[in-house]
Amino acid sequence: MGLESRLPEFVTTRLDWVVNTARRYAVWPMPFATACCGIEFMAAASSRYDLSRFGSEIMRFSPRQADLLLVAGRVCLKEAPVLMKIYRQMAEPKWVMAVGACASTGGMLDVYGVVQGIDKLLPVDVYVPGCPPRPEAIIDGFMKIHKIIGGERIADRKHGD
Amino acid sequence: MSTLEIIVTCIKVLAVFTALQMAVPVLVIMERRGVSFIQDRVGPDRCGPFGLLQPFADAAKLVFKEDITPRHVDKLLYFLAPAFCLIVPTVAFAVVPFGSGIRIGDFTLSFQIADFRVGVLYLLAILSMSSFGVVCAGWAQNNKYGTLSALRGVAQSVSYEIAMCLAVVAVVMSTNSDSGVSSTAMSTIVADQGGTYLGFFPKWNVFTQPIAFFIFLAAMYAETNRTPFDFVECEQELVAGYMTEYGSMKFSMLFMGEYIAMALQSALLVTFFLGGWTLPWVDLGDGSIAGGIASVIVFLVKWFAVAWLYIWVRWTLPRLRYDKLMDLGWKALVPLALINIVATAFVGVWLRS
Amino acid sequence: MFKDAESVKEKFPAGFLAYEEFRNQPTIIVKPEAVFEVLRFLKDDPSAGYDLLVDVTAVDHGAGLSDNRFSVVYHLCRTAEGKRLRLKAFLNADKPVIESVVPLWLAANWAEREAYDLMGITFRNHPDLRRIMLPDSFEHHPLRKDYPVEGRGERDSFIKYNPDDGL
Repeated sequence: MGLESRLPEFVTTRLDWVVNTARRYAVWPMPFATACCGIEFMAAASSRYDLSRFGSEIMRFSPRQADLLLVAGRVCLKEAPVLMKIYRQMAEPKWVMAVGACASTGGMLDVYGVVQGIDKLLPVDVYVPGCPPRPEAIIDGFMKIHKIIGGERIADRKHGD
Repeated sequence: MSTLEIIVTCIKVLAVFTALQMAVPVLVIMERRGVSFIQDRVGPDRCGPFGLLQPFADAAKLVFKEDITPRHVDKLLYFLAPAFCLIVPTVAFAVVPFGSGIRIGDFTLSFQIADFRVGVLYLLAILSMSSFGVVCAGWAQNNKYGTLSALRGVAQSVSYEIAMCLAVVAVVMSTNSDSGVSSTAMSTIVADQGGTYLGFFPKWNVFTQPIAFFIFLAAMYAETNRTPFDFVECEQELVAGYMTEYGSMKFSMLFMGEYIAMALQSALLVTFFLGGWTLPWVDLGDGSIAGGIASVIVFLVKWFAVAWLYIWVRWTLPRLRYDKLMDLGWKALVPLALINIVATAFVGVWLRS
Repeated sequence: MFKDAESVKEKFPAGFLAYEEFRNQPTIIVKPEAVFEVLRFLKDDPSAGYDLLVDVTAVDHGAGLSDNRFSVVYHLCRTAEGKRLRLKAFLNADKPVIESVVPLWLAANWAEREAYDLMGITFRNHPDLRRIMLPDSFEHHPLRKDYPVEGRGERDSFIKYNPDDGL
């Protein structure tokens, strides 16, 4: 990643803007939907709320092709290594959104077998509260992801993670 | 060939290649907005006016993504498979006639890169390589989903290729060239569809060979692995099938290869059955510049209509079960195509006697 | 008394302990040693003929008890008429072992694994007795009454994401 540090500031800012805009309008989610929040996510992607307006219509179920890991629903103890594996298989740049109370903090499932929030496992970018969150809240989460992407620089991401 | 012809052919190759790469975004946006229209949604409309820059955003994002090569894949095939998937359909465009010729003095600029006398054979040979890319991609990944989808893909392709070739044989049999003998040159097949029956009915092969038309239509969906025959990449069963372990640019090459194959099959349907660049009531093959440009526009309009049909069928029909798909290919389409050939032969002999 | 309970009492006088009925739901209580034979009779006998094992589950009646702490409950159904029956066997706290009914109904396989995983009841002759819902490294049996709901720290101990791992 050496070239960006040698180019003048003006060029890299323009390049960042172009790349970030392209990434913002083509966020491909990978739905890791385990429970009820997955249904709300499906509602957000269907006709009335329509996530595809923002380009997130293509949901790739293969982590290698997705940008955004959407964890919707509780993550059990037995599932935690699986989630880690999926996160590692994703290509940089990648973001994580925890949808719902169970993914954010464990929610109402304060029990022995549920991970109390996926941020104990992975770095999370956006938390969407709710049990389950309304589709408008999930779309608001997407808007926040767009804002985070807009503020990044190319040099922020290391390849080979 | 003279130097001028070589230079003109090279320019034509570049032009067609570029046009194909531009056709992919057009197809992508047609699909996204089209499916949203069918499903009563809006579709991408934030990126650019009316969402027209959406495929460019997708492409740019894929370019800037990290290119991973997993440790467990077969390195050579993993590298080559997307190339196969992209190049094979592109190469087949060499014999598709986009328009009639423009005569400039002594020189005829034809809108076809290579007009072989055996154009149809070349085309069928290239089409049978299309399953190669899928198999290489699936095998290289070294995981269950890829292998399963590659096997299904190749079985499906091979079965429907036979039906497609037999349908094309019937079309070739019913084509009369200038010397009165059937010809396999693509330009002859198109030129023969100009003109009308009884003064107003177009002489297109869809009316002379309706059975072959429907066989080709069904086989066309199966060759490009689109619904209702899209086992190869059904998400519910196979994650992403043969594309599972591919990310960023390799995935985008596989993706583009699929859309270019779609464009190719639409172009073939237009050429073989819908009259290619001919309009039945106007003679566009006279060599004038206006005629040439109009013929290209006619071809593009017909091609868009068939591509829209592709998208329409994909988002309307459910997927066939695998054994039903094989039954349809072998037990329905192949016998029907053979009967069609025999019937065409009888009718041809009867008409000439 | 329910007809099938009568025939069980006749056939297995030593194993039969009690019969209860609550709101038309018959329950037969037997000794744990006799459970397999009684269930085989209920399955094979043409007048009883329970061909569907609906569930095998377990109950913990109190952490302080030592006798009859656990009970293993079998729910049976005869699909032709829809008649249902419940069978219970009580086990002691120090040795909660009972015979597995997998040879009779294959459906018991996962149900007994669940009872083993969460309650710690060992099923003799079970073909594949291991944990089904919790990770294999989990050490306790969580649905027992002396286990806290929040667990004893297992839910926090797993490998966290480290970007410098090189994996």
